[in-house]
Amino acid sequence: MERALIRPIVIMGAMYAFLKFVLPNIPGSAEIPASLIILYLLLTLSGIIIFETLSAESKEAFWGPLQRFLTGDNIGRLQPLRYGILVLFPVLVGWQTYHATVPSDRPPAENRVIHPAPPGEYTGLANPVPKTPENIMQGKGFYAAFCSPCHGANFDGKGPAARGYNPPPANFADPTTIAMLQESYLFWRIKKGGVGLPIEGMPWKSAMPRWELELPDEWIWKIIMGEYDGAHQAPRTWE
Amino acid sequence: MSHVVDRHGAWLVSLLMVVGCMILPAIGFAADSTAAGPTEYRDIPYIGSRNLIWIVAQLHLLLAGFVLGVPIFAWLCEIIAWKGGEQRYDKLAKEFTKLLTSAYATTALFGGILLFLLIVFYPKLMNYLTDIFFPSFLLYCLLFLFETATLYLYWYGWDAMQEGGKKTLHIFLGFLLNFFAIFIMIVPNAWATFQSSPVVISEGTAIERAWAATWNPTWWPINIHRLIANVVLGGYICGAYAGVRYLAAKTAADREHYDWMGYVGNFIGVFGLLALPFAGYWLMREIYQYNQQMGITLMGGFLSWLFIIQAMLIGVLFLGSNYYFWLGITYRIPGSENQYRKPILWMLISLLLCLAVWMTPHSLVASIEEAQKMGGAHHPLLGVLGVMSAKMTVSNLMILITFMSFVMYWRAGKQDTAPWARLAKAVMGAILALASIAVIILGVWGYFVPAIVRINYFSTSQVAIVIFVILTITPLTALLLKSAKTTTDMVWGRMPPRAGYALVLNAVMVILLMALMGYARSSSRVHWHIYGVMRDTSPYAYSPALGSASLIMVFCTFFFCLLVAFIFWVATMGDKAKGVQGTVKQDLPHGIPAMAGGGPERGEG
Amino acid sequence: MSELAQLQLVALGIVIFGILILLFIRSNFFRVTGFVSIVLGLFSLMSLAVPQMASLPPADETIDIASIKTPADIAALGQTIFFSKGQCALCHSIGPSESARCPDLKGIGAKLTKEFLYESLTDPQAFIYQDYRHGGVPKEYPATMPRIDKDPIGLSKNEILAVIAFLQQMSGEPISVSVSELEMPEQGPSDPVKAAQAVSVARVQGQEKRGNLWNVR
Repeated sequence: MERALIRPIVIMGAMYAFLKFVLPNIPGSAEIPASLIILYLLLTLSGIIIFETLSAESKEAFWGPLQRFLTGDNIGRLQPLRYGILVLFPVLVGWQTYHATVPSDRPPAENRVIHPAPPGEYTGLANPVPKTPENIMQGKGFYAAFCSPCHGANFDGKGPAARGYNPPPANFADPTTIAMLQESYLFWRIKKGGVGLPIEGMPWKSAMPRWELELPDEWIWKIIMGEYDGAHQAPRTWE
Repeated sequence: MSHVVDRHGAWLVSLLMVVGCMILPAIGFAADSTAAGPTEYRDIPYIGSRNLIWIVAQLHLLLAGFVLGVPIFAWLCEIIAWKGGEQRYDKLAKEFTKLLTSAYATTALFGGILLFLLIVFYPKLMNYLTDIFFPSFLLYCLLFLFETATLYLYWYGWDAMQEGGKKTLHIFLGFLLNFFAIFIMIVPNAWATFQSSPVVISEGTAIERAWAATWNPTWWPINIHRLIANVVLGGYICGAYAGVRYLAAKTAADREHYDWMGYVGNFIGVFGLLALPFAGYWLMREIYQYNQQMGITLMGGFLSWLFIIQAMLIGVLFLGSNYYFWLGITYRIPGSENQYRKPILWMLISLLLCLAVWMTPHSLVASIEEAQKMGGAHHPLLGVLGVMSAKMTVSNLMILITFMSFVMYWRAGKQDTAPWARLAKAVMGAILALASIAVIILGVWGYFVPAIVRINYFSTSQVAIVIFVILTITPLTALLLKSAKTTTDMVWGRMPPRAGYALVLNAVMVILLMALMGYARSSSRVHWHIYGVMRDTSPYAYSPALGSASLIMVFCTFFFCLLVAFIFWVATMGDKAKGVQGTVKQDLPHGIPAMAGGGPERGEG
Repeated sequence: MSELAQLQLVALGIVIFGILILLFIRSNFFRVTGFVSIVLGLFSLMSLAVPQMASLPPADETIDIASIKTPADIAALGQTIFFSKGQCALCHSIGPSESARCPDLKGIGAKLTKEFLYESLTDPQAFIYQDYRHGGVPKEYPATMPRIDKDPIGLSKNEILAVIAFLQQMSGEPISVSVSELEMPEQGPSDPVKAAQAVSVARVQGQEKRGNLWNVR
């Protein structure tokens, strides 16, 4: 039909192709979940609608053909297509309903809270171990012995045992993990492990051991220091 | 007109019936208590005590926001008219003050209902709060007396106090009105913030205890946040009212007037909106500092998805406000379409990019397969966009873009004549470009510094940069425009219907946002009435999931819109009667040309 | 049909209601109403599409004095009180802390005797060290230690003793609070009639509860 109508369709198609095929293939990237693709496509669509309806002329160019098509006004050979859409629409709704209600073996979407609120007794604790090079070295030593099999010798979450776990062990080099947390938070997570998570954190999904059974508190604090130092991150502080 | 009135009447009847149905069970089942000893909670069947309190409190808060927001800008409009001599601003101010009397009564009504319901349903909590706050309860009553008296003087004295010294007195009354209104807002704010960040001392006199509890860590952040939000709410509701009237306007004069009113409302709303993210950020920071647990519950815990929804609503609000500015340029300034198409396109694209970043959650909704492909719930590339540094950066950029939209609208249809215009424009361009780059650099750099440096220095610098831009470009533009010559006059009353709908959409977004944040504030206390002090032991101690809560928010929003429509309808009933027997308005086919930012002069001045 | 699906249907109904109004009604006021309900319905659908999480209150901890046998049990009870009802952790920390408003309590059980701790909790202003200094910058929200046995916190004598036991245990001290010190109201020779009444009331309530359970099942 008219250009004003084809352009939006091309833009939407290009956007979808970009999100689906180009972005995931950039090095270091991965496939984008459907929820995010829908969000970006919706934004694109609203942008197109806003831009095309900015003035009377562009609105007419954009909406006019659509309106004429929908009302069957002088469309000639497109008439069968119009009836096709009339049929297609309920079919689409029916298919969507079927799709949403049919039993499937696919597990539901995940909504695990990665950093749930810590229990009261752990908020605001400060590291009692002085920050000396020896202590940090010692912490790194403990880290190598207890943590690195999963979290990796390079603090990147890629230890030799990491491949077996889903979700994978945390990557401390990522600025959105330990750099966003206080030392006391790490102390809680290491001490209580996966089973110590609240329900929203899905304790059954984490394989993190409950280290309080094996390590004294002082070692845990040293490990925390070693972790931050080795991953080149700093703990979050409030003052 | 009469059929319109009839339809409104039908609405009124159905509205009353809905209210009646809601209240009846409350009367019938209020005494449904089983426990021995002092009753701690009472409940009603079907709707539930908590839901009823929720709805009434939310409606009361929305109405209060409206009642406190409207006098602020009515007073400002009055001052503009007084200083600048443009009488239509005075008329606008009066039109809105007229609403105040009935809106004020409705707010007080809902406040009264809320109080009774709280006493009925939550006697234990109310006992405790009364014990701590009774001095400020009394103060609140006193403030109400003053506020009511001032409001009546202000409204009924409007026409009598138009001349000379009397007008000055009237302006002073307006000031007093707002002065008391602010206290009426911050006194109950103390009760509400005390619930989430209590400061309890057991020693001292009643006044000392009440004062300590009042001055709690989140009191002032909330006060500032609500004050700005009230102005935004008042502005957008004014815009929505104008939008609805514009859609229904029959005469050209009406169309012009409501077109202009919609512009003023949208402008006031945007003006407040620009400052709102800063206030919100401060509030969040105080909450984190008061109690990290509460902060994490809000931002990273079970409410984290709420902030994605909030980002979407604010995104729609920004888009809607800009859309209205852009529609104003292309429709009110004939022949400007091609000239502004390109800059608008670029602004739209940058705005959408900012929104895309803003709405990208840190943990994504993904099926197991998708999560496996990403290696966890964080996307390796896009997950970076989910943290605070990125969000702060794009929200600052969005504010800059919206501000540019406004400046563009302001300058549209004018040609600079000043000899230094070229230089001034180059300076403004440079400021804008440098500021944007600086904001982005600070945002990217923020990933590589400790959180505390980012929060204390980077984020505040970003905010300071944006404020600096606004404070330099506004006077520069004003100076430029003083000498500019108008090439194309602005024509009012030619906006398409979708502009009216855009105004309504903006108002709905603001109301929804307030309802959403009400839920957030209440849920952040989790199972406490008063955080850490008094536990909620009722069956309603849980916080509902966002989905079911959203339906209650939707109900509150819808009902509030109807209430406001009713208030507007009541307040303008007299005008219609006058309009019928009054002057026959001229019918101009193409509207009347007028100055930008100004409306048609119809000989009132 | 799940609750979520029902709510989604409601939201969808709101949207469809709005669309019908826009399609068939000409009055401007109703058209705006229809538009608003479409927007609101879409908002609801969006809120229903994100992960749904309700926040449930944690299980209520009931304390049964009869189950306390050793001083370690008392200390464990004290720990829960310290972090919950007693609200000690709102201000005090154990170990140095950045966010604490009040003195650090690490090792306090070793520094002070049981009697002194008890006095500090119930009459905080009675004795203040002369050399006690508030080092560093003044705190933003200074607080005076409240009397713990008075409102709003109002711990009972047993609870205060339990907290002291916890403080001692935490400081590595032997716990000097013994089980015999705790007041046992149930076992004391109280008014026999009242006790009998209390027992019968409890039993009746218990039966009712069980009955309800059976009904549910």
